[in-house]
Amino acid sequence: MRQSDPVAGLYRTLLVFAAVGILILAAGLAEFAYFEPVNPSGLHVHIVGVFHYDPATNQTSGPDEQTFGRADQFAAVVDWSGLPNTVTVQALWFDSFQNVVGSAGPNVPSEMAGDKVIPAAVPKDLKFHLPGEYIFAVERVVGGQPVEVLGRRIVEVDRS
Amino acid sequence: MSVAAANPRPRRRPARYWVAAAIAGVLVVVLIANSLLDYAYLGTIAGRTSLFGLLAVALTALATFIAVRVLDRDPGQRRRHAIRAAVLLGLATLLWLLVSDFFLFAQSAGPEVAAVCALACLPTTAFALFVIRRIDRNEKEPWRIVLVAAAWGAIVATSLVIWGESFWQAIAVRTLVPGPGLDAAQAFSAGLLEELGKGAAVLLLFLVMRNEFDDVVDGIVYGAAVGLGFNFMESITYMTNLYAIFTPENSGAVAAGFQWYARQVLGLFMGHATYTAFVGAGIGIARQLPTPGKKILAIVAGFVVAIAAHFSWDAWLTLFPVGAGVAGLIGIHLRTLVMTGPFTAGVVGLLLVGLHNESAALAAQLRMEAATGNGAVLPSEVEILMHPWRRFAERWRALERRGIDAYLRLGRLQAAQLDLAMERWHRARQEIETPLEAEDELRREILLLRRQAAF
Repeated sequence: MRQSDPVAGLYRTLLVFAAVGILILAAGLAEFAYFEPVNPSGLHVHIVGVFHYDPATNQTSGPDEQTFGRADQFAAVVDWSGLPNTVTVQALWFDSFQNVVGSAGPNVPSEMAGDKVIPAAVPKDLKFHLPGEYIFAVERVVGGQPVEVLGRRIVEVDRS
Repeated sequence: MSVAAANPRPRRRPARYWVAAAIAGVLVVVLIANSLLDYAYLGTIAGRTSLFGLLAVALTALATFIAVRVLDRDPGQRRRHAIRAAVLLGLATLLWLLVSDFFLFAQSAGPEVAAVCALACLPTTAFALFVIRRIDRNEKEPWRIVLVAAAWGAIVATSLVIWGESFWQAIAVRTLVPGPGLDAAQAFSAGLLEELGKGAAVLLLFLVMRNEFDDVVDGIVYGAAVGLGFNFMESITYMTNLYAIFTPENSGAVAAGFQWYARQVLGLFMGHATYTAFVGAGIGIARQLPTPGKKILAIVAGFVVAIAAHFSWDAWLTLFPVGAGVAGLIGIHLRTLVMTGPFTAGVVGLLLVGLHNESAALAAQLRMEAATGNGAVLPSEVEILMHPWRRFAERWRALERRGIDAYLRLGRLQAAQLDLAMERWHRARQEIETPLEAEDELRREILLLRRQAAF
């Protein structure tokens, strides 16, 4: 290829753009690695289930469910007793848009005894839950940063 | 009479046809595998959807094959093949609309809402396709190929994405820590799968329709067309989905309307069109590079930029939170401008340089052709042919003097003359597979057109 070939200029410009692209993707990989560290503790939390929930009494009722209606109130019940007090944990509900819609902690497990029932709240300014998959995750926290999921439940909120 | 590319039919099909067949085969296998895995293990998409989706893909593939025959083979039976291809594409589009809107989302929103959303997205997408085709000022790409590119983006690429991303997401939400890590994983999924799905269509066009794929400008046009097709279908899907979600909150129309504005106005040229235009730019540049190594590197580079641009939007959107009210409205526009604007500016930069190179090369070739004195291009025509508005003014004059037939005949003559200049350019750069007789064939056709145009 001749040096004066105008296509060579386009080619080089594209390679510069690609170099920027590789930097962006590398930053994405670094972000992923930072928030998804590979150091499992071997700990597991017992999530008793996800049940219908009455906000007035803070009580759950009925059997463990996989699916709820948009107008239903529901909450996860966690048995914190199996976790050692050497770790800090938190529990979070994520709606189908991956916004946090319920939480407990972070704290050591012995201090979480009062947070056995963790309800999923209806998103702010809405009357009903969003349809789709809701994720309930109990996470181990180090330095304010979740580093491991100790237990997870996924429930489906029906469109109807 | 219309003038096609001057290239005569090669006796044996070039190797690139076999590469294209292999890529198409891989795509079909991936689609089938995705669909079967989803149906068997995830159940996120109804079996009916998978079946209808595969049928739509098969119809689109058949339509594309026939469309290729329209341009590349059987010139005597073009009209019949064109009608067949159009009918098959229409059926595939309808079938896919049925799949994505009715079975997935319109079941909740209703088919009327899906139809209204599709109608709302049609004029904006058509406008964008019109604009990107017009940008190719020297040699506009045929509408039928631009529309095939958009249809592939809308139907085939979305099929790959729905199944592939469903599978990826189902695994990610069950294994990763919710939060930024999961967001990044899903952004990688969107960037990789969507750009590979869309880019495969551009790559297939390049391999199969080499005569219509001249340089970086054509690559950007076809890439953007695929992206616009994808954006059209994605807009309908998001609009119907959000309408269904927010109707019980009495804000379904507002949510759908906002999606329409964000995707069909604000992000019309700045989202998928920009990303896939980078894939097209890479392939277009590769078209004119001398060695296989550089060609492959250029194609890979185009894909890398597209994937990175798409990834950055999906992964880091939340870094630019927007408030409510007027500030929020301004924030949404600024966010799009800041996050996607630099990539769009990059594509526009490549396009402008490509257009400049193309114009300079065609002008030189037209002058050389005029200097031969064989009559295919007259010296007085060179300046006219180099400027779209002057070409149009000449055609307009022909229209005023002799009516619409004269206008159309002159248009065909001008297009053939520019085709000849393009052929000469590719031959001068040693980028053409066909013998020199091809140019003589085109010159004879130009002289015939000139007589018909009464010049």
